[in-house]
Amino acid sequence: MKDRNYTHSIQIDSNKCIGCSRCMRVCSTKAIRIVDGHARIQPERCVDCGECFRACPQRAIYAKDDGLTSLPPGHHTIALVPSVFIGQFPPGYSATQVLDAVRQVGFDEVFEVEHAVDFMKRAYSAYAESHLTRPLISSYCPAVVRLIQVQYPALTGQIMRLKAPHDIASLFLRKSRERRNGAPEDDAPEKISIYYITPCAAKSVAASAPVGEEKSFIDGTINMTTVFNLALKILRGQKETMDRKSVADMSPDSVCWSLSGTEKKYFPGRSLAIDGMDNVIEFLEKLELGQITGIDFLEMRACDQGCAGGILCPGNRFLTVERLEKRRERLRMLKEEHRGTVENSLLEREEELHAHSGVGPVYPRDGLLLDEDMAKALLKLQRIDRLLTYLPGFDCGACGAPECRCLAEDIVKGKATISHCVFVQRVMEKNYKLSPEQSFAVIEKVWGKNRLDKYRE
Amino acid sequence: MRIEYHIEGGDFSAAGGASSAVRKTLKQFNIAPLLVRRIAVVLYEAEMNVVAHAYHGTMTVDIRPTGIYVVIEDSGPGIEDIDKAMQEGFSTATDEVRQMGFGAGMGLPNIRKNCDEMTLTSTPGVGTRLEIQVNF
Repeated sequence: MKDRNYTHSIQIDSNKCIGCSRCMRVCSTKAIRIVDGHARIQPERCVDCGECFRACPQRAIYAKDDGLTSLPPGHHTIALVPSVFIGQFPPGYSATQVLDAVRQVGFDEVFEVEHAVDFMKRAYSAYAESHLTRPLISSYCPAVVRLIQVQYPALTGQIMRLKAPHDIASLFLRKSRERRNGAPEDDAPEKISIYYITPCAAKSVAASAPVGEEKSFIDGTINMTTVFNLALKILRGQKETMDRKSVADMSPDSVCWSLSGTEKKYFPGRSLAIDGMDNVIEFLEKLELGQITGIDFLEMRACDQGCAGGILCPGNRFLTVERLEKRRERLRMLKEEHRGTVENSLLEREEELHAHSGVGPVYPRDGLLLDEDMAKALLKLQRIDRLLTYLPGFDCGACGAPECRCLAEDIVKGKATISHCVFVQRVMEKNYKLSPEQSFAVIEKVWGKNRLDKYRE
Repeated sequence: MRIEYHIEGGDFSAAGGASSAVRKTLKQFNIAPLLVRRIAVVLYEAEMNVVAHAYHGTMTVDIRPTGIYVVIEDSGPGIEDIDKAMQEGFSTATDEVRQMGFGAGMGLPNIRKNCDEMTLTSTPGVGTRLEIQVNF
């Protein structure tokens, strides 16, 4: 089985893109090429990690969300806010205040995602007992899940088949409006829409095109930057401060779940927390070779510092981590003041949630495949090797591909020609195989029609 | 399609390079991911044997539409008793090598378990030749 749903949140605005190729060079899965003067994403390879978004000096790369305007009128709307959102604000604004500001942005209700983490913690222990594959890889970060599908197909079976906390939170919000027999509560609104305030592009895709599920429990996503701007405006206009929470409504360290290092503590045995795309890739390489033994669980986050480093988080990731750690301490204090009790209503529905917390198997994607047919693929590979002996090998990127090897692959796939290489061009011109006009045309094909205008007299 | 890799004995820090390169190549084919992984494990064990026991060696990989054929040849101390070497848990690895987490005596048995055909020949004092075949 193969997963061929290549929906993506990361998009390139060709009107803003100047074809500088910075994104192409930073892409971990070599998914970007320059065509007609603009960066273009190969959908089968992209994992929505957002490294290109960070590198773009033109802000031409954006994360597509559903947006506030898509909130359906007449619905009871709920914003699912991850704790990391609260970490974007200076400590002067309390969590209660920040969440209320989100409500004022245009929702009927606000719910903090990390309430579901207390459920996840229990689910992990149960999962560890019933699934004996080791090491299991966390399904929390959707960019990591997609990276494994594209680059490490042999490891897809090791991804934990559990929903993410925001899905569980969404499920709870729906269930809590039903009676135990499934009938709606008397005061339940007829239609509810649950929107997730997302810190990254990958989480948006996880909602619109979930892996291992037919449909997500999330109705839509809104980029965190959008909500941040509106919420901050509201907070700045407020004179009086609000009352703070007086009881801990979730266990203290739940607020740090999206960061690096908390989740791993809840899987029994030896576990590691790995964050940052490069670190994740380095480890998965070793894991796929069978060089890693004796590890039970891998918490992996595509972003450095976990979701605090999400591409849609406006604040500084280290300040965010500090703020969330402070919040954890405050919850710890509240918990102690109430003799160690936590009042998390989500856990009252634990059994119901448990029944729906699993997802289907995760299948590999075709990102690296040369050809379905083995013999044809072999011929293509031989051609790639032969081509590589002609190409200069220092990955200048002038052909519009990030590496000489990528150009060779593109050539055998019929997406480029050897004359795309500027070095080969020189030799061809010398041998009268290519006219200066022809190589001019090739450069324009990659870098755009007017790219060479400034050199004209 | 033939690819040849050099393996340096005693270079534990660079070990796994050859098997990693083969695995990357195989991922471009329509081969079941778990089979790719099995091959990677076989090649890694074979590569480690050269690193842990021999002076230097070569790994020649031949990929055909029907399967992968690998020959690992080294110059080194060779194997005195091949039957014994094939037993699980038997190892002549030095304490130094064992401290690095290798030499559990599972290398050759693991290779045999994961490949379709295997031929091991050795001349003590000269070197060892291991032929492996895994069918697609």
